[in-house]
Order: sequence, then structure tokens, then C-alpha cells
Amino acid sequence: MTSRLGDNFFRHEYGRLVSMLVRRVGIRHLEAVEDAVQAALLAAVESWPKSAVPENPSAWLYRVAHNHVAGELRRQIRHGELAGQHARAAMDSTNDAPGALLTGDVRDDLLRMLFASCDDAIPIESQLVLALKTLCGFDIREIAERLFTTEANVYKRLGRARARLREAPLELVDLTNEQLASRLAAVQAILYSLFTEGYLSSHAEGAIRRELCDEARRLAAVLAEHPLGATPETFALLALMHLHCARMPARQDGSGGLLLLEEQDRSLWDQEAVQIGLCWLARAAEGDVFSRYHAEAGIAAEHCLAPSFSETRWDRIVECYALLERLAPSALHTLNRAVAVAEWRGPAHGLAVIEGLEPPSWLLGSYLWSAVLADLHGRSGHAELAAQYRDAALRSAPCQAVRTTLERRLRAR
Amino acid sequence: MPKYLCLQRSLPGGQAHGDKPSPAQMQAMYTKFNEWREKFQNNLVDLGGKLGAGRLAAPEPPPDGPLIEVKELVGGYMIVSAASLDEAIEVARGCPGLVRPGSGVEVIEIHAPG
Repeated sequence: MTSRLGDNFFRHEYGRLVSMLVRRVGIRHLEAVEDAVQAALLAAVESWPKSAVPENPSAWLYRVAHNHVAGELRRQIRHGELAGQHARAAMDSTNDAPGALLTGDVRDDLLRMLFASCDDAIPIESQLVLALKTLCGFDIREIAERLFTTEANVYKRLGRARARLREAPLELVDLTNEQLASRLAAVQAILYSLFTEGYLSSHAEGAIRRELCDEARRLAAVLAEHPLGATPETFALLALMHLHCARMPARQDGSGGLLLLEEQDRSLWDQEAVQIGLCWLARAAEGDVFSRYHAEAGIAAEHCLAPSFSETRWDRIVECYALLERLAPSALHTLNRAVAVAEWRGPAHGLAVIEGLEPPSWLLGSYLWSAVLADLHGRSGHAELAAQYRDAALRSAPCQAVRTTLERRLRAR
Repeated sequence: MPKYLCLQRSLPGGQAHGDKPSPAQMQAMYTKFNEWREKFQNNLVDLGGKLGAGRLAAPEPPPDGPLIEVKELVGGYMIVSAASLDEAIEVARGCPGLVRPGSGVEVIEIHAPG
């Protein structure tokens, strides 16, 4: 008898259960809820293999977690740890029969949790950690591994987020339309952040990088399907996620080395993901909105639609980067535009874009900056400058895979 | 085939605190447990379970001195059937989570009547 539960069943159930119970008892009891969900999942691991998976696994888990948190809240009341009115409110809701749950409610609850997490009084890094913990079901060690930081750091960020939620629990009904709109922008930003953590990750395990991208896509889809989140920016965000994911299979060679765009085997690109991405892009184009996500999706679409590197419509990509720079000013976007301009009109024009640009120190120290300059100077015949920047790029390369790719690219020209 | 009582017991050297597996780790545990159960389905007589509250019944007057209760050492049981103790140990060892730092399983033959 093989398990008929999905590959990410436990992790996704964690997110669902936390969201549903938080709605029931209030977000100030987030920790008690998380403990209860943990206990319920563990109970399932121990009993289901022995007594068969229940007819409705989610309902079983909800019941067990619900009982657990009700017990914990009663304990807190008894020990005077819970102030009067909060206690009564929480207990009132736990006395409701779990009855008719697990309908479309779940997606509402997930979004509610996501919106509550994106409080601008919580630092962005903490919002991301909170989402990874409560909605994606990763634990502290797993989050630290994925964000390339320490467990202590993750623990601290989580603590900050939880403290804020305790002191200012969000009631969505109390938000004005304006506040909802700005909260939506924060939600989109976190989902974008989650996606790029996976997409740009230098984690050795492709499956881990991929998993973060999939989590971002999953949550963005929930957002897009809800009236609150069904906006052009959300559609564009989904488009860019799918279009980027489509090209991920080709980015590495057999031994884990990184391949440049021009070296990638485009037949490995996931055409289904391309199609889904283009559908979302079409929906995003309805109306007058053009956001940074539109610009990035446009760039990704141009790459996905080009049959080969040389047939890429670089002029359109340059246009998108120009728009992106206006919407989300960043030296990195200017740098990328310079690269695109160089492909379109030649390296001298690419250099002209960067001329006079005073990059922030984080970019100056990054291998990307040196690599682009080495490449453009090399292609323009400025051998000495090219060599200087090449050395700088190799020195600041973050890992061997990048260094190997740089050596290959910066020598060939 | 003879039956063997398998008792999960604590060993020195483990973590002081109980395990807190992540959902992803639980998924792996669940999968492994099902694989193990399928592999040894002919040997598993009673999958047993974890042990909870209990008490000792002893003669009056109760004996002097401190007494270690078995339940402080033993966390769970199961009963397997196997051709030999070695085979029974192989079955028990394969059960995910039983044998790890701080935990082991004692496999003890149950004498059949007659």
C-alpha cells in the first residue's frame, strides 16, 4: 500500500492548518497554533501508517490541531497567562464545532496570513522568514540553509515578526482600501523576494532552489485567484515567475557548471511553463497598468520567444530595461540595460550606458560589475582595461562554478 | 516462527530534548515508515505503539530504596515474528527512528508455550 499523499503534503498542510487556526483563535496565538499543528502532523506520522490514512486527512489533522490549541489556551487561562477578554474571545472560537471547514475558506485563510505577515512595521527580511515558516512550513534550520544565514539570525527575525503580530494583530476588515492596496504591494514584493531567493540562489541543490520558486508560484497563484489580489501586477508577477522557471532546466551543464545564455540548450526549456507564463502576461496586459513586474516579465518573454540567442529582439529588451529602470531605479537594472544595448548595437554603446554611472559600493564590489566591464572593454578592443576588470571579476567570484564560467566567457573574446 | 518483543529504549548520548522534526522531515519519515512496513509485512505481528502513563503494582510493604520504573527507559513496543533473533533484529533496526543517537531497541525472544 503506497502513500497517496502528495510529495509536499506535510509542509503544505502545515501552512494550511496554521492559516486556518490563526483565523479561528487570532494571530496573537501564532506560536501556540504552530505548536499544535506540529503535534498534529507528528501524530499523523505515527498513527496513519499503522491504522490507515483517514478518508479526509486534512480534516483529521485540523481536528487534532484544533483540540491541541484549545487545550493550550485553556491551560494558559488557568495559569493566568491569558488576559480576560483575549482569552474569552479565543475560547469562544475554539468552542465552535470544526464542522463545515475545508471549503474555499482555506485559500482565504492563506491570503489572510500572507497579508498579516506583510506589515510594514516588520522588516522585509523578517516578513520573508515569517512567510517561509508559517505558509511554506520550513523550519528554522531549513530557512537558514535556504537564505544563506545562521539559525540564530532566522530565530531573531522570526521573533521580531511574531512580536509585532502579537502587539498589533491585523483585522483585514479594518483596513481602508488604500491600506489594502499598499499591503497588496508588500505581499507581491515578498512573493517576488521568495521567488528570487530560489531563482538566484547559489545553493548546490537544484531541487532546493526549484522548491522555493515553486512555493512562490503556488502562493502567487492563490493571490491571483482572489478578488483582492487579481490585479495586473499580480498577473505580471506570475508571468515572470513562470517564464524564468521555464528556462531553469538549461542553466547548468551535466556537472553543475553554469551556462551562459548563449550556451544554453533551448530545447531544454519548459515550453509548458512558457505558455502558462505568456497567458498570465496576456492577462497582465489588460488595462493601463505597467509595473516593474510587467517590465521583467517582458524581458523574460523576449528570451523565451527567441529561437536562438542571435535571434533575440534586443531592442525590445532594452526598452523593457529602460522602463524597469524608471519604475524601480537601480544600478543593477542600468547594468543589465548596458548588456542588452551591447548585444543590440555593439559594445561601445553598452559602455556609453555605464559611462558616468556611479555604482553603489555593493555593486562595485560584485563580480557582475567587473565581469560586464571586462566583457565590454574586451569586445571594444581595450585589452588592458579588460584584463584589469577580468582580474577583479575573478577575485570577487562567489564560488568556483561562477569563476569557471567567467574564465570561459572572458577569455573567448 | 517465534515471536520477539521489541522495546524502544533510551540510551545515553542522545539529545536532552525530544525531536522536533520539520514538516519536510516528517514527510521523509512517513515515506520511510511505509516502505519499511511494506518490506517486512510478513514479520509485523503487532505494530504496537508509544507508551504513556502507567504505574507499578508491587507487593505490600513496597521495597526499600529508589526504584527505576521501566517506563522511564522504554518509550514503545512492537512484536515481530522472525526465524531467528538476528532476523528479528534486522526487522527492528529497519524501523525508521528507532535506532539513532539516544535511542535503541531491545529485541527479546518471547518463549512460546509448550
